[in-house]
Amino acid sequence: MAAAPSLRAPPLTLASTAAALRTFSRTLVLQPQKPLFTSSRALRSPPLPPFPSNLPRRRLATRASADGGNGAPDPRQFDFDLFTIGAGSGGVRASRFAATYGAKVAICELPFSTISSESAGGVGGTCVLRGCVPKKLLVYSSKYSHEFEESRGFGWTYEADPMHDWSTLIANKNAELQRLTGIYKNILQNSGVTLIEGRGKIVDPHTVDVDGKHYTARHILISVGGRPNLPDIPGIEHAIDSDAALDLPSKPEKIAIVGGGYIALEFAGIFNGLKSEVHVFIRQKKVLRGFDEEIRNFVSEQMSLRGIEFHTEETPQAILKSSDGLLSLRTNKETVDGFSHIMFATGRRPNTKNLGLEDVGVELAKNGAILVDEYSQTSVDSIWAVGDATDRLNLTPVALMEGGAFAKTVFGKEPTVPDYRAVPSAVFSQPPIGQLGLTEEQAIQEYGDVDIYTANFRPLKATLSGLPDRVFMKLIVCASTNKVLGVHMCGEDSPEIIQGIAIAVKAGLTKADFDSTVGIHPTSAEELVTMRSPTRKIRKDPSPAMIIGKNSDRVDYLLEALKVVFFLFHERVLFYPCSANELSCSCKVCIQMELLLKSFMV
Amino acid sequence: MARKMLIDGELGQTATDEKQYDFDLFVIGAGSGGVRASRTSAAFGAKVAICELPFHPVSSEVIGGVGGTCVIRGCVPKKILVYAAQFRGEFEDSRNFGWELSDEIGFNWKKLLHNKTQEIIRLNGIYKRLLSNAGVTMFEGEGKLIDAHLVEVTQPDGTTKQYSAKHILIATGSRAQLVNIPGKELAITSDEALSLDELPKRAVILGGGYIAIEFASIWRGMGAEVDLFYRKELPLRGFDDEMRAAVAKNLEGRGIRLHPGTNLSELRQSGDGIRVLTDHGDQITTDVVLFATGRLPNTKRLNLQAVGVEVDKTGAVKVDEYSRTTVPNIWAVGDVTNRINLTPVALMEGTCFSKTVFGGQPTKPDYINVPCAVFCIPPLSVVGLNEQQALEQTKSDILVYTSSFNPMKNTISGRQEKTTMKLVVDAETDEVLGASMCGPDAPEIMQGIAVALKCGATKAQFDSTVGIHPSAAEEFVTMRSITRRVAAGTKLKTNL
Repeated sequence: MAAAPSLRAPPLTLASTAAALRTFSRTLVLQPQKPLFTSSRALRSPPLPPFPSNLPRRRLATRASADGGNGAPDPRQFDFDLFTIGAGSGGVRASRFAATYGAKVAICELPFSTISSESAGGVGGTCVLRGCVPKKLLVYSSKYSHEFEESRGFGWTYEADPMHDWSTLIANKNAELQRLTGIYKNILQNSGVTLIEGRGKIVDPHTVDVDGKHYTARHILISVGGRPNLPDIPGIEHAIDSDAALDLPSKPEKIAIVGGGYIALEFAGIFNGLKSEVHVFIRQKKVLRGFDEEIRNFVSEQMSLRGIEFHTEETPQAILKSSDGLLSLRTNKETVDGFSHIMFATGRRPNTKNLGLEDVGVELAKNGAILVDEYSQTSVDSIWAVGDATDRLNLTPVALMEGGAFAKTVFGKEPTVPDYRAVPSAVFSQPPIGQLGLTEEQAIQEYGDVDIYTANFRPLKATLSGLPDRVFMKLIVCASTNKVLGVHMCGEDSPEIIQGIAIAVKAGLTKADFDSTVGIHPTSAEELVTMRSPTRKIRKDPSPAMIIGKNSDRVDYLLEALKVVFFLFHERVLFYPCSANELSCSCKVCIQMELLLKSFMV
Repeated sequence: MARKMLIDGELGQTATDEKQYDFDLFVIGAGSGGVRASRTSAAFGAKVAICELPFHPVSSEVIGGVGGTCVIRGCVPKKILVYAAQFRGEFEDSRNFGWELSDEIGFNWKKLLHNKTQEIIRLNGIYKRLLSNAGVTMFEGEGKLIDAHLVEVTQPDGTTKQYSAKHILIATGSRAQLVNIPGKELAITSDEALSLDELPKRAVILGGGYIAIEFASIWRGMGAEVDLFYRKELPLRGFDDEMRAAVAKNLEGRGIRLHPGTNLSELRQSGDGIRVLTDHGDQITTDVVLFATGRLPNTKRLNLQAVGVEVDKTGAVKVDEYSRTTVPNIWAVGDVTNRINLTPVALMEGTCFSKTVFGGQPTKPDYINVPCAVFCIPPLSVVGLNEQQALEQTKSDILVYTSSFNPMKNTISGRQEKTTMKLVVDAETDEVLGASMCGPDAPEIMQGIAVALKCGATKAQFDSTVGIHPSAAEEFVTMRSITRRVAAGTKLKTNL
């Protein structure tokens, strides 16, 4: 499934703060003569790892090739070279590629159903059956109402307003899903992969149980994906998740959508386009945490203009069902009545329960994600995991990349690390978002000096339609190298537009390359190559207060960090940066720093 | 025509002769290139004047309008009509997505025309404001050269005024031409086609270029019966043959009747319309005949020869790579020079001109990897070399990657129309030499690909880019297997 990138600074835990401080103190020790707060870089969050590996780096590179394929040290005979549990995007890709390398591969998957559960799934996985594909089909359908509106300005007239028939859409959608799951099965069959229907469970590092039958394999790949996760509040049994929302028997008249992530926004757009009354409840001030701040503002503004009502800073506390069958949602602020449906889009959890993982020693994160190293190997040598089950970057193309890299590493004798840099992603809200690379906030943290180019314009189509649609674009450029660090766009066709830009970023795109590219006229995309003067230039600032002032969302994070810093100084874990290295030192630098720290303690 | 640039210090020079001129720069023609050059020159500190004919949607020797072809009679109104025409396909597609539309969806051409004209008038005003905000002096009237430093402007009331300038820039653009056959006066050009009083029920279009097929798509989308005649086997000569074939198939699929290898020989007024005779001896009766058979530079009435500015056979002003004509202080940009006739190219030439002349920074426009789009329905967009050009211009073998797929939307709508994509790669260097796409959103998608080609992207870099799922564009980064390898020096079947 398309997902928000997880490249934002991790939530501040003591562990990550400690990591930050290690970097911090190293800086201090290495540059004892420099005053502490001369640059914003000193305050940056822990540097992002080049890839989101959640297990320590290990000696895999050599072992993988020795272990993989034929020259294996293990003399045992196995039924299969690879047994994959879960035939979604990652699992299918890994199995097919492994088979083309000559491996004997089996894959197991639960029986087909549009709603996933412990006992139902289907070949194709979330993306094809309960995610990207059905979601996009519904987005297409719902977008027409906007297009009908637009068409009036272009001279089209209707005797009666177009009506939508939900059951036609759902029937056609499900027929398409059946077709796709069939195609996936064919793909597996044609590449010689044995497909086994049933629930796979790990018995030992080389044995998988599928509904009572045991299969042995040299390698086991876990690609079981994730599932929507609903909070435990009173009345939650009346709520639906995204699986159900994609396959409702009838169209909601009035729906509450809880959550501010991409799934919530996409469904808000879908139901709004199909003329349901849509209320979105988010805990935070803004939607899409982790996205660029300006994009967050822009998209919610545009969605509001299309009729979606946002309830911000509201935490749902209970769902009540009244005698007429309608639902009410009670939050910390209000109770809103009259919902035909209440949908929770409050996150997804890896499907790692009851897989027997703990018993064979596969380490899991607290949220159930399988811990893997950068080659997707788990803490058990013969067991690997890719895709949403590992909760790295939960996107279909990333699972494909991980699956491909896994097959290359283990069966292609070519240890390959998936490259998580500049992964583009999209949110199919209406209007949609396409983005790539760092947000402005991340870029400032990482590079200090950045130039920001923005454009906010009314596209040609909107000038005729008379609708309030706009397009927002943003380029983030490193001031010293001229490299493009991030590209963000919200407006019609954003996902299609960003894909090509992503290639350019891979090819080392600089702002000068953007400028030297001739536009395609008249398009929206040409704006990207005609942004001549920066909207603002951000330069290293001696006062952290300046940075904080620019971004209220980071205040808490920074304050917490500073509190810990102060504490550590007091405990003499860290030393002041001057040569005296004394807490009581009264040199200019130390006094300045103490003042700064104290000002933040208030 | 490259020639050594003379940097005479222009602005830096405090020569006394500067004072003899009314302006540092006088620009004839306020279209894309002229406006850009004026504004950027003014930003460098030059004293700039520009002249343009009075505003009118249909151009002639004496009417035009600030904004030029692009804004008034080209890209912008055309795209507006394409938007309008696209809705018909959307209505058809929406049914399988659950929408119930009454069978009689009406289309009010007059309303569209009104809204389009309003938008063009608005843009015309914006352009005027841009010029005055940049400190450029505007004159309304027809400009012509008297000598190398003197321009005469004939005002709408017929009076004339003369202005002297250190540099003169010719940016008068081009105009649609009618082919010379009997009854040609019954035909219209794209200018009129954008402003017809009545929407035709039947239309005949002559020409296989982008203008012809764009109008074919527009009128078809608005419900007309469209017959498209062109001389070659396929439309869009100069584009990649595979993409030409894809476009032809799509046009037919959308209900346009194609008549390849056919020319019109005569037009006659008849009781129920215009009777069109073809060189195959066929007859067809229609409401409107559009000639989209090329455009010629607007140079006839500029008095160029008298001051020594050379033009080529087509009337295009000859310029060197800095846009300088054969008279050292007279320059020309845009369609009037007939290089690559695209708005963004005219903008680039205009900017390079002012950098060269007033910025003290001699700059040549870069014509490598200029992307372009044809807004037929669905559109075509390309950047870089096509397969034929790649074979001619590189010494190594060429790898061709193609993909033809059913876009996701069509899986539900049932529309039988494939999206086609193509990459041409240098087998030795792995560099992507050209990309093309025919399908929905192609122009928006191709812009980013053009940026990647400017970065010298290799096929490996395309492959290492993660896709955006589900999009059409992701197909460009997932073309794993070579469709064919063409040996260096192979001659392709051309002249289709």
